[in-house]
Order: sequence, then structure tokens, then C-alpha cells
Amino acid sequence: MNHSPATGVPDAPGSRRVRWIALGAIALALALIGGVLIYLSPLLALLEPHEASVGRVAGAPGAPPPPLDSKQRINILLLGSDNDQKFQQDALLSQTMIVVSIDPSTHQVTMLSLPRDLWVEIPGHPSAKIDLAYAQGGAPLARATVEKAFKIPIHYYAWVGLNGLVRVVDRVGGVDLDVLHPVLDDNYPNDFSESGYGTERVYLAAGPQHLDGRHALQYVRSRHGDLLSDFGRSVRQQQLLLAIQQRVAGMDLVAALPTFARDLNGHVKTDLDLLRLTQLALFMRDLHPGDVHQAYISAYVRDATSSDGQQILVADWPAIHAYLRQLFGGDLLP
Amino acid sequence: MTRRIAVLLLAMLVLAGCTSSGPVAHDPGRVVLPVKQVPVPGRLYATKGRALYRFSGTDLTRLRFGPRVKDPAVTSAGDRIAVAQLQDQSSTIVVSDPNGQNRQILTPSSLAEGSLWALAPAFDDDGQPSSPQNLQPNDLGVWAYDLATGQTRRLVHPFAYTGGDSDPSYRPGVSDQLVYTTYLYGGAPLEPVARLTWMSLRTGATVYLSPDPGRNFEPALSRDGRFVAFIRGGAGGDDLCVMPLATTYTHELRPYPSDSAVLVQSGIVAQPVWAPDGSAIAFLKLVNGSFDLFILPIATDGAIHAAGAAQAVTHGSFLDADSRLAWSP
Repeated sequence: MNHSPATGVPDAPGSRRVRWIALGAIALALALIGGVLIYLSPLLALLEPHEASVGRVAGAPGAPPPPLDSKQRINILLLGSDNDQKFQQDALLSQTMIVVSIDPSTHQVTMLSLPRDLWVEIPGHPSAKIDLAYAQGGAPLARATVEKAFKIPIHYYAWVGLNGLVRVVDRVGGVDLDVLHPVLDDNYPNDFSESGYGTERVYLAAGPQHLDGRHALQYVRSRHGDLLSDFGRSVRQQQLLLAIQQRVAGMDLVAALPTFARDLNGHVKTDLDLLRLTQLALFMRDLHPGDVHQAYISAYVRDATSSDGQQILVADWPAIHAYLRQLFGGDLLP
Repeated sequence: MTRRIAVLLLAMLVLAGCTSSGPVAHDPGRVVLPVKQVPVPGRLYATKGRALYRFSGTDLTRLRFGPRVKDPAVTSAGDRIAVAQLQDQSSTIVVSDPNGQNRQILTPSSLAEGSLWALAPAFDDDGQPSSPQNLQPNDLGVWAYDLATGQTRRLVHPFAYTGGDSDPSYRPGVSDQLVYTTYLYGGAPLEPVARLTWMSLRTGATVYLSPDPGRNFEPALSRDGRFVAFIRGGAGGDDLCVMPLATTYTHELRPYPSDSAVLVQSGIVAQPVWAPDGSAIAFLKLVNGSFDLFILPIATDGAIHAAGAAQAVTHGSFLDADSRLAWSP
């Protein structure tokens, strides 16, 4: 017979039932919490703190970034790099730089591509191509460089390596996009060979088609066969982002997110925390094609040669800032 | 730690409250026919996962044509079929009987100049094939083969580094006219352009049938040679259009013939091909993330138009949308 430890009086049957129910409820709660932690552990691993401080905004030290569910614009700097074994992991050039600007009040998104060869002032360093900022100072310097040159406040960043991009595309089941021009590249970098060096021949037919991760990477990365060079590549990169967004729009995020996180661990760095990443995924899922706008600054740059002989792009900064004011209104830095 | 768990739980709640906004098809790894099958007149060829399939009536047959093929083409009599056989970094044109037997490799995978891409073959009225090939970096040019002698000749010299020429189609009934896609850059600022090009094989004269800038591509000629179906790329999709062809062309017309083309199917559409009797166009259309095969009835009495709704031959099958279709009696 059970006795109450406090009184030594035998428990009434009703009291025992309450205790068992309470124990059951606690066990159920623990199992639920455990399940949640197991479910979300890949996300936790993915979202370990990285080099850039969370939500630091130039010009507003200490001010937290606006939440995604507010009415304020959020700007995320997307960075992409080679990250195979032939490169030092802490000295990667950012081959892709896209500012994704989310305006929750209008439910509109603008993608602005920044050409990698653009000659800019890099804070604390000599002027150089903008892709060098990430190699020299990681995400904080890339962020500071963009903010200084373009006056766009960068609230968050996300860096994706080549393997990460391939895995994302494969995880969503491939992407459907219209290849704008045939891709014929006899010198495409063979990143997935043992050495990471060497080239391979790549051909992608023009027209609508379904691409897996490897071929999607070839589409956005090739530039030898494109007369538009880096500008053509920027268009293709934005096309791929849109195609990924459209696939995500039809996905069951509850089931997919932990698997995504496991796939991307080591291939993605970001200072978005879990809640904001979740909000972002939900926001992306509800976007319609007409809500996303593609923007380029190709009309405001020209080819030039730097004093050390590099082929570069120099900007007409007043024209660029006027263009950005059209895009972002008053949401630019002073 | 407490804050992190709280954020986790909140995120979980947010996620739990969301459901997918629409189904996303996943490749089943096989061709799926709808419960109510659409019978296919004649023999219609398509590829999935780089394997060649033949639809005929309600039968579906996977042809043993070797690994990794695309761009089937078939003679007007249906007695020969050609495909591009893909290797690691090159491709060759292979011709065989309709069952994939008695194969003949037409093009080498490499020459002294280097590896070779050979793609999108097409037969003329006499059963002689041509195909775009890549001999120089970043160029596709159209070449013709004589099956009897094995001789090749270049039909089209592409502009260097512009994407080249592709999708050749011989005009039935006249045998000395070719229609193909020319890839270029145009407009200001420069942008990718695809133009429908008519060529006289007798004189070598070429005439653009569509404007610059613009993306009009994948021409497919009706078996009577009177009409060309093609894809018009745009911001909202890639639509299927049809226009009549003049007997011949001596200069570029304004407006371009493609400007008055009739839209017969909207959406993300690719790879049109005419039924042998001209009564329908088959094409691939993107539906819920899968490219599937559709047949659209076409009426050419008076103004050309769709004579009914497009019917799905496959469902959720992820057919290769970068590979041409072929249709024989």
C-alpha cells in the first residue's frame, strides 16, 4: 500500500490517479520537448554564432535590426564563394553578392546584384574589387563595404558555398527555369574533382527545363560562353534564387527544415537566428512571382583598368545612389 | 539557454502553423500515365532521365538506345530515328531503326580540334540528317551528313561567341529550306536574344523571321510545310505560338512574321512538334514542378487556332524538357 511520504497516511485511490496523471503529463512534456530539440538540433548546429555580430547596422550602433514581421525594410546580404579544397576557407572571394531587400509593408522583395569586379573603397584597406572584402575581413568587412559604398543598411548576411547551393537545389527536388541562352563553356572549373583544379566542358541547351543541383550551379557559375560576362551571370543567379523560392513555396516546411539544415551544415554561414530564419522561410513561401523584383546596376558602371592592371568596373556613384533611392526610398544610410 | 529554448519552441509553433501552399511533384523515376489515358496517334518520342520512350496508342515503350540520349528525330516515314548520345563532355549523333537496332554512329566524339558536341538532329525529306555541332569554343553550327557517303558539310556558320545556332528543321516538301534558332545578344543594354531564322540551302541566304530583341526559339515545322510552331520566351512564361510560312523569303519583313503569330498555349511550354497529319501539336508543359507531355488539337481551316483543350499524355513524369520531341506516323 502506498503512503504519503509527508504524512504516512495511505493515499486515497483518487490521489494516486492524480499523481499518475501528473507523472504522465510530465513525461509527455519531456518527450515533446525532446522531440522538438531533436527536430531542431540540425538548425541549432547550422545557426551557431558566426563571425558577424547579429544585426549590427552601420550608422546605428547597438540598434537591433527590425523584426521581419514589422513594417520596416530588412536587407540581407547574400554571399557566394568557391569553397572547395583549393581555397583557404578564411580567404574566399565572394563571387556572388546580392542584396535581398524585403519590404514587409508592401510584401515586395527586391534583389540587387553587385558586380564582383566593382572597384570600391574597402574600409581599413586599399580600394579594390568588391569581392576582395569578404576574403580580407569576412562577412563584417563585406557588410561594411556594401554599406559604405551603396548606403544600404545590411541587417543580416548569409554566405553559401558551392556545395551548399548544390545541396539546396537537390533538396528542393531541382529547379525549373528558362535557360536564357545556350551555355557552352569549354573551361568550366571542375570543382568536384579530387584536386579541385582543372576544367571540364559544359553544355546546357537554351529553353525551359528542370535542373538538378550540379547543373543549376553550372548555369549560374559559367561565364566563359556569355558575352554579358558577370552581368549575364548576375541575371542567371537571380533567376535561380527565384526558381528556388518557387519550389520552396510548395514545400512542407515542417518536414523539410531540419533536413535542409543537416544538408547545409558547414556550407552556410549566417547571422540570422532561428526565429528570423523561420519567419523568412514563411515570408518566402507566400511570395508570388510578381512580388519579387530584379535590380542591377549594369547601366551605371563602365569597364576600366586599375593602376595595377586589373580589369575592373568603375561606378557612377551619384547615378547609382539615385537609382537606389528609387528602389529603397528613404531606407538608405545617410 | 532559457531564451534559446523559448525561441526554439516559438519557432516550432510558427512552423507547426504552416502548411504547404501547393503540391510539389517529386520525380517518381518512371513515366506516369494518367488513369484516363490519352491515345497517341502514330509514334511520339520523348526522353526522361536521358532514356528514350515511345508513346503509341495507349502503349508506352522504353527503347534500349544506350545510356543517356536526348533530342530524338524521326524520318517522315518513321523508318529511321536519330538521337544525340551524351558522353561525359561530348556527344555524338546515332541513327538506328525505330526500335533502336542497327545503330550507326554518325559523328565522332572528338576531332583534332577537340571534343565535339553534336545535338538536335533533324532529317530532310530524303532521310538525310543534319545537326548542330560545336567545333570551336562556344559556337554551335549546323552541319549536314550524307548517310550514303558519310560526307559532312557545314550549312550554317555561327557568329562567334554568341551561342550559335540550334534546333534545325527542314521544310517538308521543298527540301532546300531550313528553319532554325540563331542565338545572339541584342538590345541596349545587351541581353540574350533568340531569333527564328529561315535559310535557303540552295543560295545560302538567311532571313530572320523574328525580331531583335526577343526570344523566339525551338521552331517546329508542320508536315505540309505551311506552318511553324515555336516558343516565345517572355517575363511571364514561355508560350507556344504558331505562324504561317511564306513560300520563300528574300528580305526581312516588317512587321516580322512572328509578330502576328497566334498564341495557342500559354504557360511554361517547351519543345513543340507537329502530328504527322497536322491535326495537333505535342509539347512539354510545366505542371506542379513536372514537365509533362500534352497534345493540343489544332485547326488550320481559315485562321489557325487551337481546336480544343490540351490533353495530358503523362502526369507528374518529369520528362526532359531540354530534349526535343519527335512524331512519326
